[in-house]
Amino acid sequence: MTQRLLISVIALTVLATGLLCYGLWRETVEPSATPIAGFSAPFVFGRFTIPEDNALTEESFALGRHLFYDPILSGSDQVACATCHEQQLAFTDGQARRVGLSGEPLAFSSMSLVNLLWGQRRFFWNGRSTSLEEQALLPIQDPEEMNQDLDSLIEELSASARYRELFARAYGEVSAENIAKALATFMRMLISSDSKYDQFLRGEVKLSALEEHGRKLFMAHPDVKVSLRGANCIDCHSQFLTSGFRDALDGFSNNGLDDEAGLPEGLQAVTGDPAHRGLFKVPTLRNIAVTAPYMHDGRFATLEEVMDHYNHGIKVSETLSPLISEADNSIEEGDRPVGLHLSEDEVQAVIAFLHTLTDKTFLSDPKLANPFDGKN
Amino acid sequence: MIFALTAITFVIAVAWLIVELRTPPKNAVTLLFHAAVGEEPLVFNEYAYKNPEGSQPFKIRDFRFFVSNIALVGEEGNYREQDSYHLARFDNDRSTYAITLKGVHLSDVTTVSFSIGIDPQANTSIESVGDLDPNSQMAWNWEVGYKFLVFEGGIRIGDETRPLVYHIGFDESRRDLQFALPSGFPLQGGQEIPFSVDVMKLFVGTSSINMAEIRSVKFDKEDTRLFADNFGDLIKLDWE
Repeated sequence: MTQRLLISVIALTVLATGLLCYGLWRETVEPSATPIAGFSAPFVFGRFTIPEDNALTEESFALGRHLFYDPILSGSDQVACATCHEQQLAFTDGQARRVGLSGEPLAFSSMSLVNLLWGQRRFFWNGRSTSLEEQALLPIQDPEEMNQDLDSLIEELSASARYRELFARAYGEVSAENIAKALATFMRMLISSDSKYDQFLRGEVKLSALEEHGRKLFMAHPDVKVSLRGANCIDCHSQFLTSGFRDALDGFSNNGLDDEAGLPEGLQAVTGDPAHRGLFKVPTLRNIAVTAPYMHDGRFATLEEVMDHYNHGIKVSETLSPLISEADNSIEEGDRPVGLHLSEDEVQAVIAFLHTLTDKTFLSDPKLANPFDGKN
Repeated sequence: MIFALTAITFVIAVAWLIVELRTPPKNAVTLLFHAAVGEEPLVFNEYAYKNPEGSQPFKIRDFRFFVSNIALVGEEGNYREQDSYHLARFDNDRSTYAITLKGVHLSDVTTVSFSIGIDPQANTSIESVGDLDPNSQMAWNWEVGYKFLVFEGGIRIGDETRPLVYHIGFDESRRDLQFALPSGFPLQGGQEIPFSVDVMKLFVGTSSINMAEIRSVKFDKEDTRLFADNFGDLIKLDWE
């Protein structure tokens, strides 16, 4: 009897110790997964998918947000993602092409980071990345941008108690894969859905007469045969997201910036297909009024310059989108520059509508701001 | 006890067998569309074709259309696909587009029917159903609806290259097509029903359209009807 009691006590002790250890282990190592609460997106943005191995969690977001704003990510500890992607500029940097570490301008302008869950699934202006996880690590390692060695970065982050804890909570260990996942989560949560246009779509506000005129022009491909005037934006920028289209390579276009001789590679650099020469990713127009300068190389300083381009500055090349070369509001016969040929009033209406895409809530949302400001 | 368990198992097995025998087998049926341009294979972005009404060289940059409301009729009954909206596109190595229908409770098929285009209710809806996506290239905008068929490219007229843009939409352009399968098409697992799609028939079908003269169609109802009338010539059952 005593022997049985002894065995029971030992067994219970082992079990209790085991449970306690498991509890402690869970407490310190096991990542917790708190699904991001209050996350909602307008129904009109449509469906989206999140990678099965990178759920949207508060822990991942917190880590990603710290990494995004931390210059520790660069070789020199001077450049953060946020250096070229500033919140108040809808995560652009206000420059045409930032000067790289060698002193030469970079190949492309910094893209706005917004509503990345929707629209085209390839990232960068020439579409060289097929996921945000893949995208996130490239500027970090680019010798012209952040010039960081991933192993050194992992070492630096592992030396920080703060980061060890953030990683442990979100994923477990400090690794390149987990850096990429956390940055991808932060970028996925950069959701802009409270512009005047969104409020209009929700039936909360009316657009002014000028904005409404601009909206109608934005949404119409011109057809002189039925006297329909249009600014033709919709042929490349989807009606609700205002980004390029999601499927296949539908979200890439040659919008007539350069003639045949000066046509850059664009998407062809990725696909190798000559039919993709000069095609670039169609960007979102969300917050477009604060993301100047415009185009993949930032060549246009203002929205007026952009409209001048589409109105009468189109340069013809073999891969120029037929939707652009064919879209003309003019009924006059004879030679004229390729373009929309809208009236000045119509141009102003389109620009007024583009201003309704500015989302002040998004541009100043404290949840998306630098976590190091005032706290650490 | 063991007897009772055996008896219950036996009863369940018999019941299952009866249900199984009464229900026709669940089959997957694939509608396989293969696109060509007349006698030529479909290639994109090459001046590989001649305007059938004029002989100028033309190229195709994009060609796609909506197949919707697919239904099968067999001896034992009908099958109607739910949320049946498919965007057929052929920008792949084999120039094919496949629609696989699952859970078809028919052992044979006598008729296949579907529409080119979209029914009026779905056409101006902003719901993402099937391949309908209001943020896609096929959407004009929610007030106008979807393009049912898109053909884009370029044509060489003399020294000049001119754009070709045919965006065919509007409720009245939908065409309901019906195909009788030869003598009771038997269904086995993964059965394919092959269709040929001849892009050239857009221009030489019920209507003849000279693409050098009508180089773009978007909202003009009469030009749109010319193209819609050729939808029925575009697709043929490819049965040997």
